[in-house]
Amino acid sequence: MFRSQHLALKYFAAAMTLFGIMVLAGLLASTHYVQDGFLLNKLDFSITKTLHIDTMIIWLLMGFIGSVYWFLPVELERETEGVRLAEVMFWIFCVAVAIVALVFIFVQYGPATEMSLWFINQGRKYVEAPRWAAIGIVAVVLVFVYNVVATAIKAGRITGIMAVLMVDLIPLFGLYLIAFPSITNMSEDQYWWWWLVHLWVEATWEILIGCIMALALMQLLGTSRRIVETWLYIEVGLVLGTGILGLGHHYFWIGTPSYWLGIGGLFSALEPLPLLGMVVHAVYDAGTHRMKTTNKPAFFWVLAEAFGNFLGGGVFGFMMTLPQINLFTHGTQWTVSHGHFAFWGAYGCGIIAVIYLALQKARSVQMLDSVAWKWSFALLNTGMLGMVGALLVSGISQAFYERAMGGSTLQAFIAAQNNVWFVQGIVMRLVFGLVFAAGYVMLMVDLLRIGKRRAVSETLAPRVAGGPA
Amino acid sequence: MDASDPAFWRAGAISSTLVMLVVLAFLTVDSLATIKPGGANVPHYNVINKEISYEFDSVASRYRPVIGGEQLLFGRRYSAEEAENTMRLGKLVIQSRNCMNCHTFFGNGAYYAPDLTKAWLDPAWQQMWMPMTQATSREEAIAMFLMNPDKYPTWRRQMPNLGITRPEAEAVVAYLKWMSAVETNGFPIHFGHIQTNNK
Amino acid sequence: MVATSLLLGTFVLMAGCYGALYCFARLRRDRRLAHVAVACYVLQAITAALLMVTALDFWWKALLLASLAAYWPIPPLTWRFLERLHIPEEQMP
Repeated sequence: MFRSQHLALKYFAAAMTLFGIMVLAGLLASTHYVQDGFLLNKLDFSITKTLHIDTMIIWLLMGFIGSVYWFLPVELERETEGVRLAEVMFWIFCVAVAIVALVFIFVQYGPATEMSLWFINQGRKYVEAPRWAAIGIVAVVLVFVYNVVATAIKAGRITGIMAVLMVDLIPLFGLYLIAFPSITNMSEDQYWWWWLVHLWVEATWEILIGCIMALALMQLLGTSRRIVETWLYIEVGLVLGTGILGLGHHYFWIGTPSYWLGIGGLFSALEPLPLLGMVVHAVYDAGTHRMKTTNKPAFFWVLAEAFGNFLGGGVFGFMMTLPQINLFTHGTQWTVSHGHFAFWGAYGCGIIAVIYLALQKARSVQMLDSVAWKWSFALLNTGMLGMVGALLVSGISQAFYERAMGGSTLQAFIAAQNNVWFVQGIVMRLVFGLVFAAGYVMLMVDLLRIGKRRAVSETLAPRVAGGPA
Repeated sequence: MDASDPAFWRAGAISSTLVMLVVLAFLTVDSLATIKPGGANVPHYNVINKEISYEFDSVASRYRPVIGGEQLLFGRRYSAEEAENTMRLGKLVIQSRNCMNCHTFFGNGAYYAPDLTKAWLDPAWQQMWMPMTQATSREEAIAMFLMNPDKYPTWRRQMPNLGITRPEAEAVVAYLKWMSAVETNGFPIHFGHIQTNNK
Repeated sequence: MVATSLLLGTFVLMAGCYGALYCFARLRRDRRLAHVAVACYVLQAITAALLMVTALDFWWKALLLASLAAYWPIPPLTWRFLERLHIPEEQMP
């Protein structure tokens, strides 16, 4: 194994740890909804929710970075350039994340000054991390980009997949600069903020997970490079062709011109089309290569990725994207339902698949299988579907009672929050959140143990047979 | 080049991406002009000296903000520069206290607390908070609530005490008043009016 | 409004079912599955018809009809493309 791949395993371990913190924070945030006064003025909803969404972003980013460190040396047939520096940056990354989280929990707020934004909380969703930490992330990322580009240069060659990945990294990390400024005008603030969020999760991240899945499929199913590359280019064309102007579906109500209602709605409505193609592709691959899978969990998590992406992003997105509908669904639990499903389907499942692939190699196992992965797969996906369904019920009731009927005032908000359907949905969300949490525990048990028992039993066998101790 | 040649699709991906990016660039230039203070959809910050309401425009077929005559805030007439400084402070409060992770602004944020896009126009200030705080004006009631939300709860879910000072509270009130004057293409629909029939 | 958005979700969901079942039918060479796939597409068309009587604006309805037409050939075209893409691999020893 390359040194870069050992680093990848560290990134995966950190990612899975943050996943656990995300789940814990999510359970706390869900409890805020269900129990009045829960940890009021000690650990308020705004903090638990910030921890929940930020750990999600970071665990996915660590999963991406780990995946690239895993596949890069194999792709370019040489050790990653600057890997020792990358190892140092990994630890800096972890320490920075820990400090940011501790400051969120124990300091929480500061006065309305630039110093608070530099050291405590920037207060913009997903990019709450104070500026000093944002600089740290930029440093980690610059080293990462250097690792990738320098390795390609030293190798003297580039593959199609690596070319797409490298070109994608430029806007992916360039957009992160939007995390820095504090813009007084809320309209302008949100205009640029959506470039960061949308062009991450509905453009550059889609390309990145596409590259990672391409690399994974070559390993998992032995699919040829020509096929995965062709498919990758088609995906890039369709995803960016619909997603770049699909950005407009965030520009309906923030003060921007009304032509965005038409443009955003149109391109957003086209976004499910490439996702349908990916479902066809996944079923085709599953069908024609099924017998040759040596990594059952990775295989099923890749399938979950294809279907989850379509359902969470495509179906649930399409339900709420047309402006006439969005006028009512915007800013309700409906959005939360779609968001959970889309992030899980599009990215969560894919990263887990890659981790199983890496473990198979790291533990030198011919055929990777276990009982625990099936349990974790069932619990995590059932938990997720349950949460999504529950939030949809709450969201529908909120869209109806708060927006359509109530006129979106405080009284309308309260009436919707007290509505019996809303409350039932929000309670069931916590119940299914616990199911999801159980799935996470099973996942961790499996990741720590899968593929190891054979090695243990192989060393035990000679002893049992009376061999040397 | 035929359809099973990766180069064909690579060319397609590059060209469709470039076309979309160019269109986005043009639309961005136009949008930024529209949303700057004083642009078509976003008023200058000193709109806080005026009365703001939200009414149905039958020509545009949607609700729109209406800027009326003079209505001073905290008994003060803000100059353009004072208004801008107040907005700057108000936005820093919103960021430093992480408001977006309980509330929404233009519907974006978190959904634990109400949307604040038109909060300045919420009848609850006159109906509930002015009596509770004994304030003589809407803005005074809002400021008092922000400084001590634990003293003036209205339902079972409470806003935490975020240590907001008097100048910070006034800045937030001003910010909310300005925000309510932004043209949002009709969001939220019929704010403050209850519908009795299905839409 | 709620009915409209649920119909929209059903519209895309039926497209997905049609696509997935079409693929399973091709994989297993199962005529019945193919018929179920077409039934899903018919359900999608019915959903589209129902959407025509909602309060959506004219152009969105037109977009839905155009999408309906586009969804029909996507699975078979994608399948045929994937087969062609894989042929040189299968011809290798």
